[in-house]
Amino acid sequence: MIKRLLIANRGEIARRIIRACRELDVETVAVYSDADAKAPHVGEADHAVHIGAAPARFSYLNIDAIIEAAVAAHADAVHPGYGFLSERAPFARACETAGLIFVGPPASALEKMGSKIGARALMAGAKVPVVPGETPVDQSNDALQAAAARVGFPVLIKPAAGGGGIGMKTVRDAAAFGDALAAARREATASFGNDSVYVERLIEQPRHVEIQVFADSHGNTVHIFERECSAQRRHQKVIEESPCPALSGSMRQRMGAAAIAAAKAVGYVNAGTCEFLLEGSGDSAHFYFLEMNTRLQVEHPVTESVTGIDLVHLQLRVASGEPLPFTQAGLSQRGHAIECRIYAEDPAQGFIPQAGPILLYSEPRGPGIRVDSGVQAGSDVSVHYDPMLAKLIVHGSTREVARRRAIMALREYAILGIRTNISFLLQILEHPQFVKASIDTGFLDREGGSLVASIPRELPAAVLAAVQQHRAGARTSVTSSTISSPGTQDPFETLRGWRG
Amino acid sequence: VAESRALGNGWWLVTDGDKRWRVAIVEGEDGTWFFVDGQVGRIDAESAPISRGRAKGRGDTSVMAPMPATVAAINTSVGQSVNEGETVIVLEAMKMELPIKSPRSGIVKAVHCAKGDLVQPGVNLLEIE
Repeated sequence: MIKRLLIANRGEIARRIIRACRELDVETVAVYSDADAKAPHVGEADHAVHIGAAPARFSYLNIDAIIEAAVAAHADAVHPGYGFLSERAPFARACETAGLIFVGPPASALEKMGSKIGARALMAGAKVPVVPGETPVDQSNDALQAAAARVGFPVLIKPAAGGGGIGMKTVRDAAAFGDALAAARREATASFGNDSVYVERLIEQPRHVEIQVFADSHGNTVHIFERECSAQRRHQKVIEESPCPALSGSMRQRMGAAAIAAAKAVGYVNAGTCEFLLEGSGDSAHFYFLEMNTRLQVEHPVTESVTGIDLVHLQLRVASGEPLPFTQAGLSQRGHAIECRIYAEDPAQGFIPQAGPILLYSEPRGPGIRVDSGVQAGSDVSVHYDPMLAKLIVHGSTREVARRRAIMALREYAILGIRTNISFLLQILEHPQFVKASIDTGFLDREGGSLVASIPRELPAAVLAAVQQHRAGARTSVTSSTISSPGTQDPFETLRGWRG
Repeated sequence: VAESRALGNGWWLVTDGDKRWRVAIVEGEDGTWFFVDGQVGRIDAESAPISRGRAKGRGDTSVMAPMPATVAAINTSVGQSVNEGETVIVLEAMKMELPIKSPRSGIVKAVHCAKGDLVQPGVNLLEIE
């Protein structure tokens, strides 16, 4: 077993990994930038090493500094978390060269899945469905038009060198193809200096459904079911859940098998996720491989909640050379889990990220409630890093129980000092389409404006008056002696709302 | 009559008749932050709610608007005497009435607003001498 693990990350994921290490008797080494000297993950680890200045490229993205820290701290393994260096093959290789176990897949698997076009070809070869499309060598108007006709309208024209949706054009019929192609080429040239394009079938109103896979170094690969992440704002996931309400049992099996095939095609080891687009629902649905995330996912607790598996424990065991402790037949889903990402961003101001001090921080508690957080009262939220502060994960016997539980928990989740998206999350959870589980990946981009507008702005006069009094330093009838602590409040009293 | 009672750690139990709310309140450099039922608000620092007449009898006291609001009623006029705690102006903000109380006893020296005015935080509504 790994003895001392360096965690090449920060925030909630660093704390979550430290917790798992404690449980397995693995010593932990935190790393930190100038901005994070007082961050919770630094205080909670057994050892802590300063690795550089606040901007990530000088610290959490600095391979040399992190390897140096691991060697100096006598660590025998490195966990990259998610983001930062987690999917960088050179980092995995640098760990290997330094004699450190990289808690993740082999560098070769990171490389194979890292190339968009290469991965697509590999997946097609492994009989994993990809979105139908063509990349004609002949880039003439006629050849591309013919390719679009073969793929079938509606199609998407995508720049070959592109990314992030730039230069992508939707074409609904053959007559509109010429103008759209010209526009796509202009934008591709302007943004990427390359006007090559390819044609893909447009998947209308898809759901984002991903399959958790796990492989050990003994040739065993399983899938650990799905997560639905269709609630995204500009490709940023906001709410995730499992099971996916649109997935039938047989579709789940087929997607699971495809994800296993994808993992095997690249010699995958450890935790990974295959992302798919799901078109339609039930047994008649179609699914298409998008990409593989070669790391632990932000939303992994959703899978942990419904399966009872601790994925970080499993990562550490598998990285230590142990075989998977279960077979596919031994895995099952129980109940329903929902994760809400708490971002430091202001919905009322176009979701601009917020930075500043956290003056008051109070997490919800209760049956089926889990909070993975990177901050606490007194934390300073920095402009240098991702604005995700924490994740609320709830579990219940049914989707509706979980949804109601999430709402009640968010209504108790007080973060003061900076603005967060909690009020926005509450609106999503109450939206009729979310309640019916009939959302696709375009839902938040279509409905975001009206969701923000529906955030209640009225406050009871008594509450405002209390705030005014507090502000003025005056208090009417302070009888704090009658109540010992907020923890002893009757939950039915404390949950009483003011709306309605 | 609304009451609030400290629960500790920045939490208050606010009651108004048979309604009650658990409210978190904390003072920051940029203002007073509060939380109730998943909603976060802040009263900006520059908009002191009521300039409190600590120095009783020494000079004039201004009564300020705590937040952007509409003047719903003015219960006094120049030359009238008011008592400390007496509601002198009623503002309406966020569809709620917000009574503005006199911070001290005295004579109303000037009224700087009229019914229906939209007032901004920190604006001087009334002066008491």
